[in-house]
Amino acid sequence: MKKLSKKALNSSFWRWFYGNLTCFSHEHMQTFAYMWSMLPLIQELYETKDEQAEKLQTYYPFFNTEPQIGSIVVGITAGLEEARANGAEEIDDEMINGIRAGLMGPLAGIGDSLIVGTYIPVLLGVALGLSEGGSIIGPMFYIVVWNVTSIWFQKFIYNKGYELGGSAVEVIVGEQATALRESVIVMGQVIVGAMAASWVNITTSVVLTTAADRVLDEATGEYIVQEKDVLLQASLDGAFPKMLTMLFVLLCWWLMAKKNISPIKVMLLMVVLAFVGVFIGFFDPGLSY
Amino acid sequence: MTITWLQAALLGIMSCLAASTIAVLGTTVGNYTLNRPLIASVFVGLILGDVEGCITIAIPMQIIYIALVTPGGTVAADLRAVSYIGIPLAYVTAKSQGLDLASPEAQGIAGALGALVGTVGTVQFYGTAMMNLIWQHIGWARLDKKDFSILGKVEVFLPLISHFFISFIPVMLIVYYGADAVGNFQEALPMDSWYMKAIFTLGNLLPAVGIAILLKSVVTKMADLIFFVFGFTLAASMGLTLIAATAVGAVFALVNYQMTMIKLRAGTAGAADDEEDI
Repeated sequence: MKKLSKKALNSSFWRWFYGNLTCFSHEHMQTFAYMWSMLPLIQELYETKDEQAEKLQTYYPFFNTEPQIGSIVVGITAGLEEARANGAEEIDDEMINGIRAGLMGPLAGIGDSLIVGTYIPVLLGVALGLSEGGSIIGPMFYIVVWNVTSIWFQKFIYNKGYELGGSAVEVIVGEQATALRESVIVMGQVIVGAMAASWVNITTSVVLTTAADRVLDEATGEYIVQEKDVLLQASLDGAFPKMLTMLFVLLCWWLMAKKNISPIKVMLLMVVLAFVGVFIGFFDPGLSY
Repeated sequence: MTITWLQAALLGIMSCLAASTIAVLGTTVGNYTLNRPLIASVFVGLILGDVEGCITIAIPMQIIYIALVTPGGTVAADLRAVSYIGIPLAYVTAKSQGLDLASPEAQGIAGALGALVGTVGTVQFYGTAMMNLIWQHIGWARLDKKDFSILGKVEVFLPLISHFFISFIPVMLIVYYGADAVGNFQEALPMDSWYMKAIFTLGNLLPAVGIAILLKSVVTKMADLIFFVFGFTLAASMGLTLIAATAVGAVFALVNYQMTMIKLRAGTAGAADDEEDI
């Protein structure tokens, strides 16, 4: 009965952790990283060089996912490879690559929305709050919390993947996991709303009308007419605070999500809007020396 | 204020370590730690000798690029240029203008510069990925000859050559010569001119794009936007901080999870009943 040593598993994990994207290209993406992290396992399980080369070929096919959550897949194949070396006949190249290909998409979706789209922005948001006035506490908070939790999480799911082998698939794409994921995303939606209100501030300098106020002049005892500007900004905020900011965020979202316009093009559109807006007097940041 | 060759070279090295998805220090430590503008500002500050100032100037840049998701290897902007070209240049510009780094003017410059150099990063990202093709082809050829040691070289050493040409050299040159150019900013671009107003306005508009990228990653159907508006109202109208809004969001997440699980259980129980009937 062959059993992978702790040392080989550790080496495999750290190779993936470090190298998952170091030699990224659009042709093979994470394929080389995958082979490099399977190598110590294959070398331990199989003795002859020919056998090792043959087993390494299992991992030649293309691989790409969100690499941090993707460490569970490397763990799963470590478990499968060990079982195969012990003579499990149902585990062949086709089965291993079926699992790899089947998990790439769902895991990329989970990783991009939960880790990159929710967890990291929330940590950065807290860090931004702590950084006010140039305080180093903010960046330090992020460096420590992100790295400690992220490394622990990646190691944990790698080991879980190794222990569970093929049965890990149900844990990842099962109904309970899907329900949990969708619920965390609900929290993400609320947080993004709060972020938009906290960090974006778009105001207009448009004057709607000039209202005339009759004011009693105390010195002379006569009424004089004072002119007062009615600002569009104040009217909008009166209806819904920071409405203009929200509309801008929703406009950008709509262009990217519904019209499939790339973020770079939306940014360029903002350049145009900024120039046109200042030119027609919609925006005026009120600068002076 | 200028930047010395030594400082420019150090910034160049940092940009290699932190370069987006292909960072020399890997995904977690390189891309998601050192490449975030807020974190990078500490290292830029150490190099330029003003940590506090660099953190202050980096805050608006971090907000624009709060959620940079790179689905399937497509990038909106590679942060290595924002962090290690944008922050030093914004800092030098604000300093040579005599601006308070926390002032709206300085923050506006930072936001606008961050967006501008973001495109430099995009070119660097695709450049590095293209150059890595060479190393991978060497890798396949050697693998055919059963030379396993090539995997480590392809993963660790050969990409350094890509970074030398595509991260280190350009960042060093742009920072060194760019700092000279922005030093004369004040005469070239007076503050009360209409185009400076436009640049500052742009600095206010760009964070909306950053938040929208984030929104796109969590919204799948139109009804999801209601939760976004809810969160917006919590902060804008009710004055909740981000952490407080997170707590409220967590309540909704829990309720949603429990409701979904009840539905799932009812579903399986229903299926079992049907079988008994048959």
